[in-house]
Amino acid sequence: MRLLTLLSILATASISYSQQPEDLIPKDAVSVFSLNNFQLLQKVSLDELVQYDFMMEIQQELFDGSTTGKSLKDSGIDFDKKLNIFYGKIKNYEISGITFAIKDQKQLFTVFDDFETEAPMYTGVDLYASLFNRLLVKNGNALLIRVDPTIEKIDQVTDSIWYARGYQNPWGDQDYYDIDQDEEGNIIDNWTDDQVENFDPSTLNTTEEENDLQKNYYELRDSVQLVYQERYFKDVCDDLFAKGNNLLKYDHRFASQMTHVSEGVFYLDNSRSLQKTQNLWYIETMFPSLYNDINTLYTGNVILGDLFLKDNTAEFHVEAQYGPELGSIYEEMNDSKFDKNTLKYIHKDNTAFFTYNVNLRQAYEKAFEVVVPMLSDEKNIQVAYNLLVLELLNEFVNKDALFSTYKGSMFGSFNGIKSIKTRKIEFVFDEQTYDYEEKEVEAEEEMPIFTLGFSTERNDIPAKVLKHLSKLTSRFKNMGEYWVYEEAILDAAPLYMIMKNGLFIMTNDEDLAKNHNDGYGAEAIKGKKAASIKKNGFMYMNVDWGNTIDKFPADFFSARQNEILNAMRGKTGNMELTSTKTTKEKTNFNLVYHFDNSNGNAGKHLLDLFNSVYVISR
Amino acid sequence: MKITQGILASLLVLFALTSCVEIIDDISINNDGSGTVKYTINLSSSKIKINSILALDSLDGRRVPKRAELEENLTEFQKKLDDKTGISNVIIDQDFTNFIFKFQCDFKSVEALQKALKEIITDEEQFKNVKAVNHDWLNWDGTKLTRSIPDFTYEVPSSLKQEDLERLKEGTYTSITRFQRPVDKFENTSAALSKNKMAVMIKTTPYLLKDNHDLIENTIFLSPLK
Repeated sequence: MRLLTLLSILATASISYSQQPEDLIPKDAVSVFSLNNFQLLQKVSLDELVQYDFMMEIQQELFDGSTTGKSLKDSGIDFDKKLNIFYGKIKNYEISGITFAIKDQKQLFTVFDDFETEAPMYTGVDLYASLFNRLLVKNGNALLIRVDPTIEKIDQVTDSIWYARGYQNPWGDQDYYDIDQDEEGNIIDNWTDDQVENFDPSTLNTTEEENDLQKNYYELRDSVQLVYQERYFKDVCDDLFAKGNNLLKYDHRFASQMTHVSEGVFYLDNSRSLQKTQNLWYIETMFPSLYNDINTLYTGNVILGDLFLKDNTAEFHVEAQYGPELGSIYEEMNDSKFDKNTLKYIHKDNTAFFTYNVNLRQAYEKAFEVVVPMLSDEKNIQVAYNLLVLELLNEFVNKDALFSTYKGSMFGSFNGIKSIKTRKIEFVFDEQTYDYEEKEVEAEEEMPIFTLGFSTERNDIPAKVLKHLSKLTSRFKNMGEYWVYEEAILDAAPLYMIMKNGLFIMTNDEDLAKNHNDGYGAEAIKGKKAASIKKNGFMYMNVDWGNTIDKFPADFFSARQNEILNAMRGKTGNMELTSTKTTKEKTNFNLVYHFDNSNGNAGKHLLDLFNSVYVISR
Repeated sequence: MKITQGILASLLVLFALTSCVEIIDDISINNDGSGTVKYTINLSSSKIKINSILALDSLDGRRVPKRAELEENLTEFQKKLDDKTGISNVIIDQDFTNFIFKFQCDFKSVEALQKALKEIITDEEQFKNVKAVNHDWLNWDGTKLTRSIPDFTYEVPSSLKQEDLERLKEGTYTSITRFQRPVDKFENTSAALSKNKMAVMIKTTPYLLKDNHDLIENTIFLSPLK
């Protein structure tokens, strides 16, 4: 018995202390997607994988022809361990990379065949380098990493050295670049693709006198970039391999998430993302105490997720965690009753729609309560002035009218592509002389049909606005049951406005405005689906993926993008996003995707889906 | 400023992405060889699409021109042409509501017209040695007119991708040649004579025209001067 206990302890200890790929994730990573079980991707060939648009952004290594005829299982990667993709933008540099376990190092280097061995920087860590990336291997685990200084940092240091050497503004000779600007000051790029491809930066006259021994501005900039790439790469590696820090040790929430038994894990630390990027540099510089308050507000703001894969279902369980102050605002905002009138305007056969229920009044009151004390502490004339305006508006504005008009809840739907009536000009020829004249005739053009509606208790207010606008221009017309704004969309299509059932609805769907302005009646969404929306939290979305893709306007996508969309066409799949009630601490979201897995290649289906989303959202 | 390149780039994007383009190329030749040329591009049947495209920065790897750029290029072109010898009354009408663009000018002779256009194009470095620019597309000897369209204009469709070219099938290209006296005969069998016998028209599509340059080619013989 003692022996058995000892063996169990030893076994547990060896599992606990043996290094895993996730131990190689630097602590600077602010977002991580970890695949716990990617066996299902083994069927995907590398040739297919590298065709995906999202792969272009992740990895150039697989694009050199060395992958022909191979699948992921030939890549030497250990599929029994996790594969982690990470990204982080720190104040002066960005890191991105992948960590994974190696099953067969020889096979691995048939894929990563551009990597050359370099002198190791740390004991027990092998180092390999390609043109863009570094591969570090420790105890059978690999870290493929790229560290890039930010453009701002490179420019700042290059300019500093350049001017310190006594040179003039490198951009002084504007004519050389042939920069034209439009009336709004936007740069008009007149360069052809050939000119861009054949451009030789060394021909730029960026030094006062040509001197082969001195670097020109661009050579200097390249050197600065290289030096900082090395410096920041060393900083990251020192922290990871010399000091033994990593994300697992740095953030217990990530460590806890990584223990979940799911196919994939997602982690995004919003608070660090906010603090470490330069987006708030102005506030940080000008209003340091306000910056600290914003950081406090966002502290604890992290998004954690799990991916569960079943035979024909992919489920994403996401938890958005907040700090107490931000959480209190979200809690008030999302404490809203579902407006069931919205369901009247969603057709039972609709392919994509969402509902969003928030209580803007409560959110405003809570935000006022949280934000005003923060601003009051800031001893700055600009902030004090803005605070005074805010407090006066709070006193004088009729909040009852404002928040009764726009309560915050809304719904939207995509109703496919329909032909809509427009006008076009035709030239009519006289057979006698072949003289011609313009004639305006009716035409039809295809357009995506959308509907967007807001809950309101005060439809009399938008009605007042429309009534006055109709006196200013004949394009606003009161049609009795609805209003129409002619040629509102893209200067051609009409926008219809319906003010009924406590909703203010805008749509370019003529059928909805003319024939269903009181709702779809018996054709509206009902039954189980309606019940599921009603009992849901503040957000709900449902997309019939196959049908929605079928209705996308093909003309608006490139040939390659259409190939991807075509690959998704004909595939059935339904995506449903639900949410729980928001508390001070968190909101939970569940995204469930049901798909047809009759061909048995769920991995390919999911990659197709992921890529379609990527292509569309780009 | 690269005017021709700018105009060509704009046309390229608009033609590539619109399904139904209507082009009318209309030349009037007086007995003394002077005349008026009119060129109309009508994209009004695709105005929703064009408006939505103009709202983008780029589409399908091509940069989408800004309206201000196109306006500026056309205005600059108008100024330059107006300064050329033998050219007068240059008018460019830009209708960005219906997307109809009309150009017209008077010329003292077909040689003056061709010389002026060639000079504007070859002002730009990248077109200096382009052979197509040297092509003469109009020839008038007082009794007959030989006409085609400038080889240079084929640059636009030849730069389009196959799927974009397919859209040009739905478009129309109408070429009209007018005279001050009746037409006696013409060589192009696709051409039609107006009832008053003073104008000849050929209708085709931009798609057919891109591969068959001779579709528009015609030699028109006029009746003797009285």
